[in-house]
Amino acid sequence: MEVNKIIVGGKIKRFSLYRVFEHQFVMITFAILVITGLSQKFHEYGLSQWIIIKLGGVDTVRLIHRSTGLIFALITIFHIIVASVGVVFHKWQASMVINRKDFTDAIDNLKYYFGITDQPARCDRYDYKQKFEYWGVVIGGLLMMATGFVLWFPTFFVKFLPGEFIPAAKAAHTNEALLAFLVIITWHLYNAIFSPEVFPLDTSIFTGRISVERMKHEHPLEYERITGESLEHKPQGEESSTKQKPGPSD
Amino acid sequence: MLSRFAFLFKLVLVIFCLCFPAESIAVQSTPSGTADLCLGCHSNKDFTAKLKNGEDLSLFVNKDLLENSVHNMLDCSGCHSGFSPEKHPSRILENRRAYAASGAAICKSCHTTFRTDLHGRMVKAAEKSGQYCVDCHGAHTVQPVSMQELSEPKYCLGCHLNKLSMTFKNGEKQSVQLDHMILKASVHNKLYCTDCHFGFSPEKHPIRQFKSSRDYVIASSESCRRCHFDKYTKTLESIHYSMLSHGNMKAPVCVDCHGAHSIGRAGQERTVSAKRCKKCHREIYKTYSSSVHGSALFVDHNQDVPVCADCHRAHNIEDPRTFDYREKIPGMCGGCHANKELMDKYGLSTAVLQSYLQDFHGITLKLYKKQKDAGNKITLKPIAVCVDCHGVHDITPTTGPKSSIVKANLVKRCRKCHPDATENFPDSWISHYKPSLQKAPIVYTINLIYKIFIPFMMVGLILQILLHIWRYVVNR
Repeated sequence: MEVNKIIVGGKIKRFSLYRVFEHQFVMITFAILVITGLSQKFHEYGLSQWIIIKLGGVDTVRLIHRSTGLIFALITIFHIIVASVGVVFHKWQASMVINRKDFTDAIDNLKYYFGITDQPARCDRYDYKQKFEYWGVVIGGLLMMATGFVLWFPTFFVKFLPGEFIPAAKAAHTNEALLAFLVIITWHLYNAIFSPEVFPLDTSIFTGRISVERMKHEHPLEYERITGESLEHKPQGEESSTKQKPGPSD
Repeated sequence: MLSRFAFLFKLVLVIFCLCFPAESIAVQSTPSGTADLCLGCHSNKDFTAKLKNGEDLSLFVNKDLLENSVHNMLDCSGCHSGFSPEKHPSRILENRRAYAASGAAICKSCHTTFRTDLHGRMVKAAEKSGQYCVDCHGAHTVQPVSMQELSEPKYCLGCHLNKLSMTFKNGEKQSVQLDHMILKASVHNKLYCTDCHFGFSPEKHPIRQFKSSRDYVIASSESCRRCHFDKYTKTLESIHYSMLSHGNMKAPVCVDCHGAHSIGRAGQERTVSAKRCKKCHREIYKTYSSSVHGSALFVDHNQDVPVCADCHRAHNIEDPRTFDYREKIPGMCGGCHANKELMDKYGLSTAVLQSYLQDFHGITLKLYKKQKDAGNKITLKPIAVCVDCHGVHDITPTTGPKSSIVKANLVKRCRKCHPDATENFPDSWISHYKPSLQKAPIVYTINLIYKIFIPFMMVGLILQILLHIWRYVVNR
């Protein structure tokens, strides 16, 4: 393999420009949705009321929330179409699909954290943490879209749904929003910013490129696959007694 | 001969009175000789005469009071001319009033001028009013004016108990006759007339000209604010005052609701309060009377239920069509319906207020209020509040045969803002119930799942983060 073509300036291309923009859009729409949505959920707090008044009132806030939600929905749907078309017609590797190895990786990592093993799980293009977040955004996003539209057009949906579905949609929307918000501000921000491995910021989703060191460390299986190099015998910490089996790459 | 002598005597007496102040005379003299003779009979307490109408007229004269009276230097015949130890003509008068009238005639023979014009008018009108000198000043007990305990109301009522009326420029007439009993029963029974009718006094009785009786009523209401200034300032914010200031003379003023001389005590039977509004708002009163609150008030005499003034206030009555008023409605209803002690009496839930306030509409309403307070200029939609579903004046019970009205109201009300609402759309409002397995099982289940799932997820993720950091530190 032409390793020199893949590694440019110590970095490997990880994301296409489409993915970079996609993330930017999701990031911005998510932030706007959180601000305009949670200020309605927590309407009793002074900060929420301050935000609502500064944005021009609750009607304006709802308008912003719904329009942003619409953009978010379009991005998500487009993403799903692109992914489906890619996998089905262009034989893309379905690297986000959760498989058995993700569960064993998670257990292996836990073992590593507790000091039972000396090596962390060897992951492919996306590790189980990233898959967890990805599916969280996709499934959570679909749930938010569905319930969001029900709340936006209650009279339309009540034509073929029982009335109770409206408050039920509200319950799901508001709870899921809180869950998503909490996961993002703890888990995602830790992994993308505060984790000592990436601090001060994991820039790969913004530049589309990742350093060879991080690639070898975080995605060894993918590195081996694209470069043809084997990392097994490379001196990486202590010699491991429990060697990881290279799992199936998809 | 005798009458000439009497005239001379009176003349001397008048000159004498003018020369000496009343007090100096009072001390020095006692009733003269003939008085003792007269009192021989007239000091008998049971001495009476029968009048033509059958009434008994006491002829008793209290000697002590006579001696202390301002007229103590007069001989009995000084007033009772024609009577003397020698002559005692027999007169039988029609009734007591006739007797008082004859007494007044005696007074007027000496007292020809009066300190005030009003007094002159009173004396002149005595014939018509039936109020004679002796009615105020007494007969044998006449005191110097400075010492008389002649209370002012008594003075005014001297005329105003009688059929008097005033005429306005437009030809309307209004009675200015007073019923003494009404005045006594009023909460103001300790006040003097002039406390309210300022500008008037026993000395002054200005003649005022009003265009109409309504003008007079409105002007009279100005009196109230001298004491009830707090209430008066509240009325300045009221819709009634605003109507009045825009030239609607029919708008009610103090006396229209409270009455004038008949002002009752506050906190009396609540029907009284409701009935005041009825004078103008007849239709609404009718509707209210058949509502759950009105029928409890009028049929069961329940004093817990709200009357007009509880929601609309008594003095600072707002325009109920404004956003500001609408915004206050949940609080108004909540005033009673969130009061546990009160609602327990009727087995009603107090969760109604919070369940509304925490719902979409309640939140929107509250945020609108905040926006308005913050000075945001935006169009505020008429958010549904309690009265939109439950009725305004025609509030119906939510259980029993009339409860279907609430449901019917609901669809109608939803359609005001959600024009394409179907019949089952109101079901999307799970009433005032807290979601439960019985009332809203889907909502309840979703909430329950997240209640468990969110903490579980968060604890798991945070533990992983901590483990990761710990491992990283250990590795270094």
